[in-house]
This record gives sequence, C-alpha cells and structure tokens, in this order.
Amino acid sequence: MSLSRSPSPQRGGGWSTPGLTDPSDYDTPQRRDYSDLNGSALNDNAWAAAKAKSQRVRNTPSFTTRNEGFFSRQKRKISATLPRFNSFTSDQKDWNTEKLGRGRWRPVGDGKWSRLRTLVGNILRKFKLLIAMVVIIALTTVLWSKSNMTSRYRRAAHFGGGSKFVMILAANQGGGVMEWKGPREWAIERDSVRNKKQYAAKWGYELEIVDMSTKKRYAHEWRESWEKVDTIRNCLRKYPDAEWFWWLDLNTFIMEPSYSLQSHIFNNLADNTYRDINVYNPLQITHPPVGDFLDPNSLSPVGDNKSESINLIVPQDCSGFTLGTFFIRRSQWTDRLLDIWWDPVCYEQKHMEWEHKEQDALEYLYTNQPWIRPHTAFIPQRKVNSFPPGACGGEDGNLDTRFHYHEEDRDFMVNMAGCEWGRDCWAEIYNFRELSNRLNRSRWERVKDSISDRWRKFKESFSKKADAPKEDAEKHD
Amino acid sequence: MHFALPPRKTSQPPPYARASRKTSYFRHQQLRLVGYIVCGILTIYLLFHYVTFSDSLVESAPPGTPPVVIVTVLDEQHMSDEYITNIRANREDYAARQGYENFFTSVANYTRYTEPSPSSWTLIPALRHALTKYPYSTHFFSLSPYALIMSPSLSLEEHVLAPAKLESVMRKDVPVVPPDSVIHTFSHLKGNKVDLVMTQDTENLGHGSFILRRGEWAKFFLDTWFNPLYRTYNFQKAEGHALEHIVQWHPTILAKMALGKDNDQPQTQNALFQDGDLLVHFHGCRAAPERDCEKEMKPYYEDWQREVRRLDAPLPRRTHARNRAAFSRSWFSVLFNSIR
Repeated sequence: MSLSRSPSPQRGGGWSTPGLTDPSDYDTPQRRDYSDLNGSALNDNAWAAAKAKSQRVRNTPSFTTRNEGFFSRQKRKISATLPRFNSFTSDQKDWNTEKLGRGRWRPVGDGKWSRLRTLVGNILRKFKLLIAMVVIIALTTVLWSKSNMTSRYRRAAHFGGGSKFVMILAANQGGGVMEWKGPREWAIERDSVRNKKQYAAKWGYELEIVDMSTKKRYAHEWRESWEKVDTIRNCLRKYPDAEWFWWLDLNTFIMEPSYSLQSHIFNNLADNTYRDINVYNPLQITHPPVGDFLDPNSLSPVGDNKSESINLIVPQDCSGFTLGTFFIRRSQWTDRLLDIWWDPVCYEQKHMEWEHKEQDALEYLYTNQPWIRPHTAFIPQRKVNSFPPGACGGEDGNLDTRFHYHEEDRDFMVNMAGCEWGRDCWAEIYNFRELSNRLNRSRWERVKDSISDRWRKFKESFSKKADAPKEDAEKHD
Repeated sequence: MHFALPPRKTSQPPPYARASRKTSYFRHQQLRLVGYIVCGILTIYLLFHYVTFSDSLVESAPPGTPPVVIVTVLDEQHMSDEYITNIRANREDYAARQGYENFFTSVANYTRYTEPSPSSWTLIPALRHALTKYPYSTHFFSLSPYALIMSPSLSLEEHVLAPAKLESVMRKDVPVVPPDSVIHTFSHLKGNKVDLVMTQDTENLGHGSFILRRGEWAKFFLDTWFNPLYRTYNFQKAEGHALEHIVQWHPTILAKMALGKDNDQPQTQNALFQDGDLLVHFHGCRAAPERDCEKEMKPYYEDWQREVRRLDAPLPRRTHARNRAAFSRSWFSVLFNSIR
C-alpha cells in the first residue's frame, strides 16, 4: 500500500496504519515455519531418535535420490502445461460450495443432448486455432467486399496511386448550338460514359466528364472547339494532387478494364514509349531538329532518355499525331505548352489549314520548337488507341497490326476515330461493347455458356440425324 | 532442517519472472550493437542520398566558368572594321574587369535559319547558341552592337542580378508595352523567380539589351520567340513586336520577366544618357537613313577611353564614387539609353 492517500477509517472501526500492508493483499496464508507446525511439544530427545532412525533407513544422501530420470525432472513442467479447467481460484474462499468435480471437467449428464454438446465442445476446443483463422478470413473478406476496400486501396496515393490519374472524358461533343442529338448519339454517350465510370471506379482514378458542346463562351469566337487546353488547365486546378491527365474522346471504349494504367503503361514508361519519332514517322518530321546552335539535349533524338522527363505521351496513327487519347503530366513544361498551344498570330495564319485544330498546332510546335521534343514521348498506337476497321484503312479486312484492333491480342482500348464521317458510330461501339463483355466473362459465365453451347450443338446434331433419313429418302426418290 | 517434503512453493507465482542480471546485461549490449549498426547504415544512406541528390539538382560548374556571358551579334556587312574593333575593345575591357566572358558571333552564322525574314531575327539563335556554348554560366547579357558600355566599373550582379536588388529595382503592375497596354507586369513577382530582365523605352519593350537566366525556361522563351509563324507574320518591327506579342499573350512568359525601374524620372527624359549610366544605346541609328551610328558613337567612345584611363590610374576614387551613386540612383534608366 502506498502513501498516496491519507489514511482513512476502516469499516470495522479504527485506522489503518499507513505503510503497513493491507491484509487483503495476501490471499493465502503466509508460510509458516515447519518447526512451528510440528509444535514445540517435540522435545530434543525425540528429535534425535528420529534423526538416527532416518539415517539408518537411507544411507544415501537425499540429493542423489531426487531429480533422477527424465520424467521425474520434467513432471512438473509437463503437468503445468496441461490445460486446467475450472481451476480453484483464490477468490473462491468458500470451500463448501465447491462442486463434486473438484475443479476438474466432467460430463454434465448422460443424455444424448449433453453428449452432443460434449462432442461439439471437444471439436471446437481441438481445432480452435483453425476455427479462429477461418472466422478471421471470412470476416475480413466480408468487410473487404462490403466496404470497397479494394478500390480505396487502389485509390490511395501511397498504395495503389489511383488518385494520381485523372481521366478527362470529352462528352457531348459538337452538341449544343451546332446540332441536335438523336437517340443513337445519346446511346453512344451513355455507353461510353458508363464504361469510363466503371473503369475509373475499379482502379480508383478520378474521372472528369467535360461538356464540350459548342457555346459562345469567348468574347472573340476564335477559340471555339479549341477547348482541350482550357479543359486540361481546369483539371490541373481542380485536382491539385494528380500527376497524369488522360484525355479521352467520347468515341472510345475501354475493352480490357482489368488492365490498370500503372501496369499497362506507367510502371514501365521507358519500355512502353519511344522518344525518337523516327521509329514511326508518318509526318516525315526531321528529327533531331536542325540548327547547330541547339544544345546537345535538344539535338539528341531521345532527349535525356530518362522516363522522369516525359511530360506528354501521344500516340501516332497513320496520318500523324492523334489527340483522341493522350497523356499529359503536371509540370512547368506542361504549363508552358498549354500556354503557347493556342496563339492568335498562329491561329490567324493557319486556322483554315489546321482542320484538326489542337492536333495540327501540336504537330507544328513539335516540328518547329526544339524545347518540346526532349519532353515528348510517343506510344505505340495499339497500346491505348486501337482503331476499328475503316479508320486508317482496313475496310477490306486487311487489318494493319500497327493500327487496328486485334481480338487475340486483347488490346486495351478502341477509338472509333472518324466514325462520324460516314461510318456508323453506334453500331461500332455496340459491337465492341459486346465483344468486351464476352472477352471478360467470369469463369462461371464461361461454364454456363459452354454448357448451353454444347446443348445447342447436341440439339442441332440430333435434328440433323433426324433429318438425314428423310434426305436419304428424298435422294432415293 | 530436513523433512520428507520440500517446503511448499507459493501457489501464486509472480506473473513474470524477472530475467537475471547477467542476461539483461548481455541483451543490453546486443541492443547497443544493433543500434550502432542501424545508425551507421542510416548515416551512410543519408550521405549517399545527399551526395546523389545534390548532384542531380545542381550541376557543379567547372572552375573558371564565367558567371555572365555578354552576347553580341556583329554584322560585318554593315559595320566597318574600325567600328567592330572599337566595340570589341569596349566589351572585352568590361568583361576582363568583371570576370565575364564575351561571346561575339556574326549575323552570317544564322541567316540561313532566319531567311527570308529580316536579319535582326538572328539575335535569337545567337542567344540559343550562347546557351549551348556556355552551359554552366548563369546569366546571358544580350547587348546590341549599337550599344557602348560607359561605366565599366559597375558589375551586373551587384546592381541587377542579386534577387533583393532586383526586387527593389523592378517595376510592378505597369503596362508591359508603354504607354497603355492592358497587360501589366505581375505585382507579386519574386526576385529569385525572374528569368528575364528587360527595360522599356518610351514606346517599346527594348530588346537592345536584356539579361536572360540559363535554364529550361530560357530555351522555351527563345524557341517560342523564334516561331516561324511570327517570322512570316511581317511584324512591323520584326522580333521586337514578336517579343511584345508573346509577353502580352502568354502569362508563362510574363511571369518570369522583370522590368527595370526608371525611378522618378519623367518619361521624356529617361531615354537620355546621363553621366554614370552603365551604357549608351544608339537605338535605331541603323534603321534611320539620316543617322550614322559610327559618328554618333565617336564622342562616347572617347569618353569611355578616358574613363578606362582614369580607372586604371592608381589614385582618384572620388569621382568614381560619385558615379556609383548616380548609377544606383537611377540605374535602370541606364541600360537602354538612346540618343536622338
């Protein structure tokens, strides 16, 4: 007992003495001396006689007889590790209330029910570790699936890193004052948006759906439908922690939602992209740029060749850069590029010529301004931007392995580029949606489908067999 | 005493057996050893990290790198040999005094890139060339061949380039292009963020002399300025107007530009040369048919020679001090003084 409290009167009256231990601290009676136990009644003679007698009986010294053999040495240890049931605890002061079992376990009764209970109890006890593990795993699984921990984990900046990516989807293109949207256009939009939403939710990316409808939003009307730049700038501001911004046109469809951007491209940027435009150069851009006054970094065909210096990733199709989908990274370089991408003097001279607007302007800047090249990388088109037959040729079935979607390669995404010029956007996007669903069936769906396929084949063959005699008969006739 | 039974142990052993002293001592020693190892590894890691990190951030300049490079584009076709010799002498003297480097280059080196645009566009590839040739110098002082350094004892670092000095000297929230451009210079620009120091004269942003800081921004700025579509646009004052255009339309350029200060001098006067100014610029002397650059330069050149002689003479420091005061009073009015 400590002295932190002032002494207080005890229940029975009187005062406890500070510093003295409370008798209730000792549950068991303190050991008393054995001599005391034997009593002082023994006189010395009796003691001497007993001593002599015992000397006679065991001539060997006592210590040699003890601790002999493994079992006698370990007995206590072993017995101490055995489980104890209902052990008699010190607070059960009342010995009379003890049950007959004397602290040991015994079956409660002889009935069937109690035997079953015993059995179950035994099993539970025997496999308690296993059962605990199973319960923990089951609980975790349920919690994980119910609280969408997976997507939260994928989203977190320090784990999956999904929030570092922003998908910018240009919706409602050309709508607004320019044209009315029919049911097909609405259906395209619905499918495309749902596809992107599912993908973004699956991997924890941010999705920004931008209304690109043509509006009179600028005092001077020059910048109409040059809104990519403004949109990206707004997103840079809206998602201050994001690093990569992925532009997507509406007529795109992610075929393989199971590919994450990280595993598909960004974890190995150096191998998934190329710097030197001479690898594939449909525009015949002179590379490296001319000018002996330029620094070695600008004159190198691959810049500094570090993947950290890549700020813009553009795919190229058969006619040059394609901005149907591209990646741009938050950096000072990007701010500068976005700033000079649209310039009134360039626009004034070229707006009749640049029918693809930003795309042509970017090609022009890439060609003429050496500071852009060391930070631009290209990505093989089919990595992010496969074309359906009809874009870049392929109407006749001759698909180009550089541009066109190939089912057996499981391309990541298709872009129905140019489908509004004489092709059927809705039919294309519908077919690709169905294909994607079929390719990404779950195992159970595959089993079901294969069974139904077999059943159908069986039925067909059966009906053929049934028809065959008739045909034979007809032939004979 | 001996009995048949050993004395009973307490039926309630203490919950945790205390380890003996000896083992705890060994444990302590082991822990200490582990601690030392961890500390050592951390130290080595941090050292390496620091070394590599600082390496990647700051390229160490080789010794003897000039802090400032003066870039002059000479036009042998339109300048007499004597004029070129004088200009070279003037700049070399200044560079030697301040520990700078001169980069003289010729219009002819770059005309194949600028044609058919006016040859004055060669200034931009020349600057890009200087950036390539002196990759470790921090500042590039572009100086028109029609300018003369009049106070060779004044160093650029002290009077403009030190961030604190620059902040006190630059003009904030004034029209970029005088007199009434709607685009104003940024009012919250920090001295260490400035990559380009320019001045205005009465009607233009003067690019007869400006200071450019090395870096990615400098390349971006020069490449943007050199856009072929600007060159073919027939700006009335060629690269001068192109410069005013990009400064007013592109905030990423404006955000890095500082305009020098004219103190409180009236607009009409600030373009005129005063004693103690850093340099004199015979602005437009070539374009105007009635003017002759070489003749205009002659008296100033003689003044400069006298100044050099005075500086090299051992004694008189008083006038020099007066000049210095004059300089810092109205320093940026200086840089671009034109004369009619």
